Amino acid sequence: MSAIQSSSVPPGAQEYGGDEISALVLDPGYSSVRAGFAGEDIPKSVIPSYYGTVDTPDSSEVKYVFGDNSIHTPLPNLQIHNPISKDGTVEDWDTATKLWEYAITSRLTNFKASNPATNGLNDPAEKNVEAEIEAAGEGEKPLEDNPLLMTETGWNSGKARERSIEVAMESWGCPAFWLARNGVCTSFAAGKASALVVDVGASNISITPVHDGLILKKGVMRSPLAGNFVSQQLRILFSTSNPPIPLTPHYVVTSKTPVDAGAPAIATYRQFTTPPHDSFRRLEEERVLQEFKESVVQVWQGPGRLNSGQQGTTNEEVVKSWPGRPFEMPDGWNQVFGGERFRVSEGMWDAKMALTDAENPAPSQSQTIPALIQASLGAVDVDIRPHLLANVVITGGTSLLYGFTDRLNSELTQMFPGPRVRLSAPGNTAERRFASWIGGSILGSLGAFHQMWVSKKEYDEHGAGIVEKRCK
Amino acid sequence: MSNIISPGSQTTLAQLGLPESFTPAKLRIPTRMFPAEKSGEWEPCKIREIRSKKDKAKAEGLTADGGPPSKKEDVDMLDAGETNGVGSLSNGEPKGEDDEILYEEDPNSEEGAVYPLKEGRITNWPAFLALLTYVHNTLSSPFHTPILIIAQPAWTSHDHELLTQFFFEKFKTPAFCIMDSAMAACYAYGVGTATVIDLGYEKVDITAVSDFVTHEVGRGVAISGYGGETITQTLLELLGTKGWTRDMCEQLKKSNICEVLPQGTPLPGEPQNDTQTITNPAAAASTGATESGPGAPRVTVSDVDMRDDDPITKDGEDNDGVLDVASIVASGKTAEFLARKEREKAERAAAKKAAADTATTATKPARLPNSKKVRNTFWYEERRHAQGDNDTVNENGRRGSEQNGSKLGDDPKSQKTPEPETEAGTASEAKGDATGDTAMAEETEASKRGKEKAARKEEKRRNKQQLLAENPDILRKEIEVGVERFMAANGGILEGIADGIHRTVLAVEEVGFKDALVAVLNSKYLISPSSATIFTSELPSNLSTPLATGANTPQPQLPGMSHSSNVNPLLLAATTASNPALNPAASAISHQHQQHNLHSSHGQTPTSIKLAKIPEYFPEWKDAGFEEASFLGAQVAAKVVFVVDQGISKGFMTRVEYNELGPSGIHECSL
Repeated sequence: MSAIQSSSVPPGAQEYGGDEISALVLDPGYSSVRAGFAGEDIPKSVIPSYYGTVDTPDSSEVKYVFGDNSIHTPLPNLQIHNPISKDGTVEDWDTATKLWEYAITSRLTNFKASNPATNGLNDPAEKNVEAEIEAAGEGEKPLEDNPLLMTETGWNSGKARERSIEVAMESWGCPAFWLARNGVCTSFAAGKASALVVDVGASNISITPVHDGLILKKGVMRSPLAGNFVSQQLRILFSTSNPPIPLTPHYVVTSKTPVDAGAPAIATYRQFTTPPHDSFRRLEEERVLQEFKESVVQVWQGPGRLNSGQQGTTNEEVVKSWPGRPFEMPDGWNQVFGGERFRVSEGMWDAKMALTDAENPAPSQSQTIPALIQASLGAVDVDIRPHLLANVVITGGTSLLYGFTDRLNSELTQMFPGPRVRLSAPGNTAERRFASWIGGSILGSLGAFHQMWVSKKEYDEHGAGIVEKRCK
Repeated sequence: MSNIISPGSQTTLAQLGLPESFTPAKLRIPTRMFPAEKSGEWEPCKIREIRSKKDKAKAEGLTADGGPPSKKEDVDMLDAGETNGVGSLSNGEPKGEDDEILYEEDPNSEEGAVYPLKEGRITNWPAFLALLTYVHNTLSSPFHTPILIIAQPAWTSHDHELLTQFFFEKFKTPAFCIMDSAMAACYAYGVGTATVIDLGYEKVDITAVSDFVTHEVGRGVAISGYGGETITQTLLELLGTKGWTRDMCEQLKKSNICEVLPQGTPLPGEPQNDTQTITNPAAAASTGATESGPGAPRVTVSDVDMRDDDPITKDGEDNDGVLDVASIVASGKTAEFLARKEREKAERAAAKKAAADTATTATKPARLPNSKKVRNTFWYEERRHAQGDNDTVNENGRRGSEQNGSKLGDDPKSQKTPEPETEAGTASEAKGDATGDTAMAEETEASKRGKEKAARKEEKRRNKQQLLAENPDILRKEIEVGVERFMAANGGILEGIADGIHRTVLAVEEVGFKDALVAVLNSKYLISPSSATIFTSELPSNLSTPLATGANTPQPQLPGMSHSSNVNPLLLAATTASNPALNPAASAISHQHQQHNLHSSHGQTPTSIKLAKIPEYFPEWKDAGFEEASFLGAQVAAKVVFVVDQGISKGFMTRVEYNELGPSGIHECSL
């Protein structure tokens, strides 16, 4: 019966029953964790990767706070951390496990599907439904009934991959597990088996060539010039402008009074006896910056770069003559932003244009998006380059910057005048932000995928190393 | 015909059938169960043991008095709690014992109560299912009745499946459907795009809805620590040092002297600036008396941003019955108001005749609005149990019972509200013969309103009266309180909720939709059944609905308006230039919030925040107020789904589908 299975051969289709297995899909990222049931069109549970800790003075025990509802409350001594490192891989596994568990259990939880044939409908005797339900509600481990599909970055280390399956199998008791590259998931979400995935997230830009559902590891490129970089550019812009622009988060403002554009804010501020930690203020400042990025920042849409141009005038001068966009800070300070709003995003494309200060030196040209794409394509087989260029998939929240796709299109056509370049960028913001989760959701709900799962049995037999062999 | 059940953390609403004109929920019971004698079984009421001959005699008298309905009632309840064979308890005669053991329901006790929902989440499944069974049995629906249940946003998809399984297998319902409470509120208000803020007992839910689709991402689900209870706790913090109990704070909160003053309004006794605190008499009349009688109009909707400027939506309606004629007329509910006043007067007169409290009332500064008084008083009712422990339980401490009475007048607990005044043995205003009068008034009231339940009601009431007679310790005290009563919301609750709204709306995606959402950003403070109910009228609201319905809505006030338009005009002009609809000049009630610079597709928003218009179609609802608007929405939805649509658009799950798909099929049916 239990013949020893080869670790590289997937089990037969019969081992998994119907399509209805309520698989969970978990897509962790630097700024948010997406979780939901496979087959749904949007992750039900999206929580920030940031979490808070509050030191209790009497004991050494640390209280964790997770989720949007809690981490934005200015508690005394609240510190904000992120279990994900700057390069998008997990740094603090213990907390990451807790955080992901929170993401899953707070909104989804497990479910034991009952077979309609045995659900008691045809039993003449009165069955105690309550007791049944009560029993179903008591699981020792959170995910004992749900196969878990998790995504990872293209550059995730082998150790981290093994850790993932350990967490899923040991801590959560998943019956089956799969680890998918988020680049592959994104291309699935766009309905493509081969694509060049441009993922512009919070901490990283990554370029992932995907061919026939597998990533081409040599071609995976990444750089930190993503959302957080733009935020940093904004901070530099605010601090270097004359007079400096105050960056006041919402939580310190009690009320504000309208002031003229550029005039100092007149606001009443909240007093704290024990203020939250600086990291909390930083998180809240990021919220203001995010609002700024969403509502003001713009990418020069091309052609050319911001500092190039025709007839003696640079594009920068052109945009300065365009009407500005107003922004009002939480404390009421407000101003109209003209050319600056293009400047802060230009560093992603042109390293020379990045704003710098003492702590933030200019990035190198090889870190910019056009250079990354060029390097990525240079690393893959020349035959498939045209195919990849015809299937460029854009994802990630930062790619929603106004004018981003136009600029990328213009840069690509300029770099590769010959081949046909076609961008695929969902207009729906949810699809853009959660593309890799959606791809995982599609994958997990495919009937054919059911035989791919790494089962608990296989894990017990082969150990964590099986993930390297099976999940390519 | 269909059942609608709306469980809340404190009160569960339910109704059988859809009348021509929708009315507020017929059945309102506290969401709590008591462990029965046998473990694993539950009772809807605390069952006490009484061991004495005298009690037995009384109980027998009672049974004779009330006749069979009493027994029936008890048996019903016990059945609901899944206890078989305990039905004999109501007779109180266990065989062959010298010491008579009598079991008695104590509807007021909270001792040992289990609240199966906490912050909307289901924390005790057995108790919750027992409660649902009890509700279902109380509705005594015929066998083939579709059921619509209003789901708390905090329920997970797993919970939905368990409930689906439970309803299909336990009640054999032919059709079942789960509706999100935020969606139900949208149905009630008839808006497809809105931000729904549901302020509950211990939590607040903030949901962005666009085109009748809730946005799950970024939804503020059960943000704990913001609710009616928070306000009570804040009061307790302020007043606890002065020897106040939680109950006292709870009642202070519900009394009409507790207000949330607009930001910047000086507290009485402090140096004042004269621009604010002008109260609208109409608002005062229409909202001030929220709990003073059945059918008292209540205000539901209030401003999204509670932090600043609002008109004072109510001022102290003085307890001694001074009538402000202008305000009554302005309120548009003259007849009702007068009727209520009449009643109150009668009661009061009865009390006054014999009582010594005339002095108290006379000394009160009658004309000064509450917000100008440094100190004000309210009536505190305290209830002690003769039997049982010395646990002091206030019968109105839980909001369910209180609303009961003020809404339908069919619940004995609240029916009794005036009685302490007349019966209080220790209080100075005790009055013997007033009891009869009051009871009479109530009886007419009851028969007028709840026809089918009249018999039971009466029985319960008698039961209650007897209980009262046995318990002379119902105290009614007048308690004076200082400016603390204006500080109820100082605990950061307003900031917290506002922040949650901000977050939720920011998380909304879809470029095209967002502009629409913001343009119609209907922000409501829907107060669901909660202890904070009374606060509906006190939540700052300088915005009215576009067409004021009169009594239910705080009237817009000019000082409030001018105070609120504190937007930078330049910014406003710039941001609204492209869309005249956004310009507040076009709409008198629009208003920009400084702290609510939410975001739209590309440009900072909102430039205006509006409240949803209160639906006016159903007179009964208009009278009752809209804290429970989601129940109205559920009625609308039930009508649409079960009657009009008949399952064409898969609004509900049928028996056949359940048999095919199992509980997880519920996710395929959406409302």
